[in-house]
Order: sequence, then C-alpha cells, then structure tokens
Amino acid sequence: MGRPTHLTDADVEQLGAELDALREEVMNSLGKEDARYIYRVLNTQRFSELAGRALLFAGILPPAWLAGTALLSVSKILENMEIGHNAMHGQWDWMQDPALDSATYDWDNTCPGREWKHSHNYMHHTYTNIVGMDRDVGYSILRMSEDQKWHPAFLAQPLYVLVLAAFFQWGVALHDLEWERLGKDKSYAEALSQGRDIWKKVRKQVLKDYVLFPALAGPMAPFVFTGNMAANFNRNVWSFLIIFCGHFTEQAEMFRIEETESETQGEWYLRQMLASSNVNGSVPFHVMTGHLGYQIEHHLFPDMPSNRYREIGPKVQAICERYNLNYNTGPFSRQLGGVAKRILRMALPHRRKRRGPMPSSIHHKQPARA
Amino acid sequence: MKPIIRKALKSSLAESLATPLSVDHYLGLIDSKLSVDEPRGRIAEATRQTPDSVTLTIEPNDNWTRPAPGQHILFGIDLDGVRHRRCFSIAGAPDENSLEITVKRNGDGAVSNFLVDNVEPGQLVYLTHAEGEFYPNASPPARALLLSAGSGITPMMSILRAWIAADELPDVVFMHYARTSADMIYEDALDRLADEQPSLELVKRFTSADGRISADTLDAAVPDLDERMTWLCGPAGFMDSVQPLLDARTTKPVFREQFESSRREAAHGEGEVHFVQSDVAASGDDGSLLEIAEQAGLNPPYGCRMGICHSCKCRVTEGTVRNLRSNEVQDIRDTDIQLCIHAAAGDVAIEL
Repeated sequence: MGRPTHLTDADVEQLGAELDALREEVMNSLGKEDARYIYRVLNTQRFSELAGRALLFAGILPPAWLAGTALLSVSKILENMEIGHNAMHGQWDWMQDPALDSATYDWDNTCPGREWKHSHNYMHHTYTNIVGMDRDVGYSILRMSEDQKWHPAFLAQPLYVLVLAAFFQWGVALHDLEWERLGKDKSYAEALSQGRDIWKKVRKQVLKDYVLFPALAGPMAPFVFTGNMAANFNRNVWSFLIIFCGHFTEQAEMFRIEETESETQGEWYLRQMLASSNVNGSVPFHVMTGHLGYQIEHHLFPDMPSNRYREIGPKVQAICERYNLNYNTGPFSRQLGGVAKRILRMALPHRRKRRGPMPSSIHHKQPARA
Repeated sequence: MKPIIRKALKSSLAESLATPLSVDHYLGLIDSKLSVDEPRGRIAEATRQTPDSVTLTIEPNDNWTRPAPGQHILFGIDLDGVRHRRCFSIAGAPDENSLEITVKRNGDGAVSNFLVDNVEPGQLVYLTHAEGEFYPNASPPARALLLSAGSGITPMMSILRAWIAADELPDVVFMHYARTSADMIYEDALDRLADEQPSLELVKRFTSADGRISADTLDAAVPDLDERMTWLCGPAGFMDSVQPLLDARTTKPVFREQFESSRREAAHGEGEVHFVQSDVAASGDDGSLLEIAEQAGLNPPYGCRMGICHSCKCRVTEGTVRNLRSNEVQDIRDTDIQLCIHAAAGDVAIEL
C-alpha cells in the first residue's frame, strides 16, 4: 500500500506485532469489572428512557417537556452509540449474554442492525477511507476526498450536509441500498428485498415514537410527539458530529484502492491509524460518544470492549510517537473545525488529484526510531 | 407476576412499545429474575453433602413448568462477567415448586468448581425448560433397577422421588457406585428412604473397598435382572463397562443418560467438521471453519474474513475449536462463533 516512506516493511511488521500484543493483553484481561460497566450503562439507558418518556406525558409543563426530551435524547444516544454500535461489533460477545449478542442485537434506529453490520462492520471497517470502497466517505452524497470526481452539485454540499445531520439515521438506513450501483453490478431485486427489511424496521420505529407513545398520552399527544422528534433529532446530530470527527478531519488520510492491494495485517493497522481521528474529552463525553472519541483505538480493535479504549489510548499514542506517525487528536471544537473546512474545501473543484506518496510521509521526514 | 399483568406484558402493544428491545430488558430494572417467558431463578440453598459436591435448591420464577422425572436443564450462571451454561439433571421430585440439582466437581471445570467452592444463596441463575427422555414411561414398571455411579445418581433420585410422591413405588433395586462412603451424594437421604420403603433395596458399592462393577457383583446383587427395566447413568467408563453386562443378562428395556460426550479429540488438533443442516461432512485438518465450509460447497455469509465484522457468526452445536488469533482451544456447545477465525481442534458440528 501507499504508506509513509520513512517506514520499512520490517517497521510495519513490528508495528503490527506490537498492536497485536496490546490487543492480546487487553482481551485476556476481560472480566467482572467490564461486565459491571456495561450493565451499568444498560441500566442508565433504560432508566433514562423510562423517566424521559414518563416526563413527556406531563409535557404540557415546559420544564417536564425539556427534562423529558433531554433524558430521552441521552437514552437514545447511549443506546445507539455506547450499547448498540459496540454490541453489534461483537465487543460484548465474550459475555455470552443474549441481550448483548452481536448476532441478534438490534438498535433503536431506522437502520436494521443486519444491514448496518454489512455497511459499517464490513465495508467501512475493512476498507476504511478507501475512496470507492468505504461508502462512509461522503455517504454517497458528499465529496470528502480529492480522489472523488468534482461535480457542480457539490457546490451545495455545505447545505445538504446539514440535512444529512438532521436526518442522519435515515441516511444510515438507506446507505446500504447502494443506489449508485443499481442496474450496474447490483440488481433491483436485491435492492428491493433489502428495501423490504428496511421498511419493516422503519415501520416499527415510526409506530413506536410517532404513533403509539403519543396515542397512549391521549391529550398530551402533541407534547410526546414533539419530544420524541426532538430526541431523535438530537441523537441524529450528535452521532453525525462524532462520526464525521472520526474520519473527516483535515489530517485524516484518504486512500486509493491501488494503494491498499495485498495489504498485510501491519499495513491494515497503519491505514486504520492514519484514517481515524480522536476527540479529547472527559469520561462522560467518551461514554456519550460510544467511546468513538477514541476512533483510532476503535478502528485498530473494533471488537475490543469500548471501556478499554481509554486505557489503551495513551499506549497507542506512544506507539505512534515511536514510529513517528501522526496521532490525530484534539479538542472537539478543533476537530469539528477541521471537518467543516474539509466539507467546504471539497465543495470546490480541486486543482489536481493527489499523486505519489501519502501526505503523512511529507509531514514526517525523520526515519522511524523503533 | 399476576396473570393479567403477564398477559399485558406479552401483548403485541407492549412488544411494540419496547421495540427493538424486549419487555424483559425493562423488567430487569425491577428484578433480574423477572421475565415474561424465560425461566430464571435464584439459589435458595446450597448444601455440601460431600466434599466435592453441592446440592442447590433453586427458586424459579413462575415461567418454570414442572419437569418429568429424570429430565435435565441447561443451567446458566454469570462468572467473572461471562455467562456459562451447563447441563444438569434435576434431582428433586417433579411436583416440588423449587428445583434441586446436585453438582459434582468435574476436573478443572470452571462452573462445577465455582459452584462447589463458592456459590452462595441469592445468586441469579438462568434456566431452560426441562428436557430429556430418560424416563419415557407414563407409569412405573413392576420391577426396576436404578444403576448409577458418581453424579449419575441425580436423575435416579428424581425418578425414585417421583414414584414415592405418587405413591407408586415398584419393587426397586437401587445400586450405586461411589469411591467411598464420604463421596456418596444422597447417602443419608437414600438410607432414610430404604428404611421407610420396604420395596426399595439399596445396594451401595464403594470402589475403594469393593472394586469396580463386575459380572459377579451384579449377579449377586440383582439375581432377577432379566425381570427388571433398567435406568443407567454415570461416567462414560462406567456406562461402557456396564452395557455389555446388561446386554448379556436382560432383554427388558435399558434407559441410558450420558452427559460426557464420546467426542474424538484428534492428537494434532484436527477433527471432522459436520455441517448439520446441509448434512455434509468434511475434514477439519486445514484452514478456518469458514474455508472448510466453502470448500465443502456451502455458502455461509461472510465479510472481512479477519474476525472484525461478525458476518460469519454461526452456531456450533457441539465441538472443540481453536481460536486462530489466540490459539486457545475450547470445548463449546450451542454457542455462536466467528467461522473465519476458528479452526477445528476435534470434531465440530456446525448448524449450517
């Protein structure tokens, strides 16, 4: 693959071995404390959901509506990010608890878990930031890399990125339909059967939040309806922001398919590190992001229980420093600024496609000290 | 749980309000034993009858249905964050409200060692409805032989207690093998029953003094073996040595119960892979289970082929597998694994 020129094959292999050892060490130490952590998150999420929905039934009082919406938003964010996303990665499979089993878990989102495991766990995590393979790059409506061809429609992307943020769960739900492949290497029949699965899930989600709970509230229906809508909106925007900060900051690297042919395990690790970016924050912040503030660690070890990313973060950073690699991290405001800049920059036609070695090899002139 | 509440919680409305989670996920906030349909329980008593066994009395929730004599359950318990599941025979009479099992230490088995050494009342356990055809008869035979060794005594206790509770105890010879008197589970209970019930003849054999079962001891203890229906349960070696003795002496039915599987473990960590649903067998010598399935012409779902996406997760009915990342070898049963990062380390049955 194309990689920083200061690393030799042996360097990359050794980097891979160090990361394998780190993974092994953590995975062998999983136990009671980790189980206690995730059960505490599960209980918090369920309590805040019940309390939020109960308060919305008294939503005619503004403080009750606000508090109810806030609690329901927290519940939906926790469920999607710290529980659902991570359970569907198989992070908690070692516990053998059917409630956290990646094979059967489905999340509170219009995207069916099974579809999402294909587009996210497989396509995005295997082919991270490879233009044309990882459809998370631009979600097939945005231009996020010089390697994507410019078109005048992209001039409006600063506008429709806002629409994507507001309706993010719907974007994710329709994502795996891969409409741009239709009639080419994907049949309409396949898309139709996928569409039916998505519709089944969408129907249940819409029925719950926009019909049944409002109906149960009787005269309070409008308050429950708007509260649920606001909670879904908050969750959409929050997950959009965290996910975009994870891969589309200014320094996050993009790859071309020919750079990643016959990639070794070490090279795969290297690409995950260079393609991902972290966000600094407090422990509650990390819990609310599903620990995707540790996007680099998550991309190296997608099935490691998320609570351990905090512990290995500094170790991964130290490894990056030793190999003279960029460990892309910063406060939320800075990372978000980088994302905004990239969205704006890519809206404009770019002078020429990147050729030759990767940008990170330009940042790092010294040889690896490993 | 009151029937009307259960009905409401099982309704499609409740299900729709809880979607995509289940009602049980929310009931767990009140008490983890609560569930709309899953049998769960708490350990009410833990009694150590012998140094290497423990008898557990479990109070189930009201999803528990009464078992038939001699049945077993899949018993689940959380140890260090991991839910373990093991099969145990029910030892109590079927008409009791609580449920009794006796667990004997089993080598370095994580579950049996924990239960024998450390289990305490109050712990939550996950149950399944009872299964098994060890006692298929609706009514007792005229004469019976209950022949057991070690922890094989537990389903015998259930059958015996069921007969006594129904006041239908036939002429029974209960012959049991333990290493010494101190190792014999249910010795006191059986002594008492033998005193009370004239038609129960108890034959205790202690292998440290009397030796293992032989044709002579069997003939001496049960001269009318050919008139008796036999129930047989114990370790694999015991079962294997008893079966020919019985075959030579009786044509009456013999019912067997055996939990230790007779699975072959290959010396170099290979075995035969059996794909159960498609009824295809393949050698497990080379490659991951995913590759073996594909070479056998099957088409299992897969994604990354490197253990990160979980697309190829599939249920193993029973078998020994090696994790290709950690090289760890594991005996598993009814467990989902990622086919792309596991290889056969013995015979494996996969639901594909």
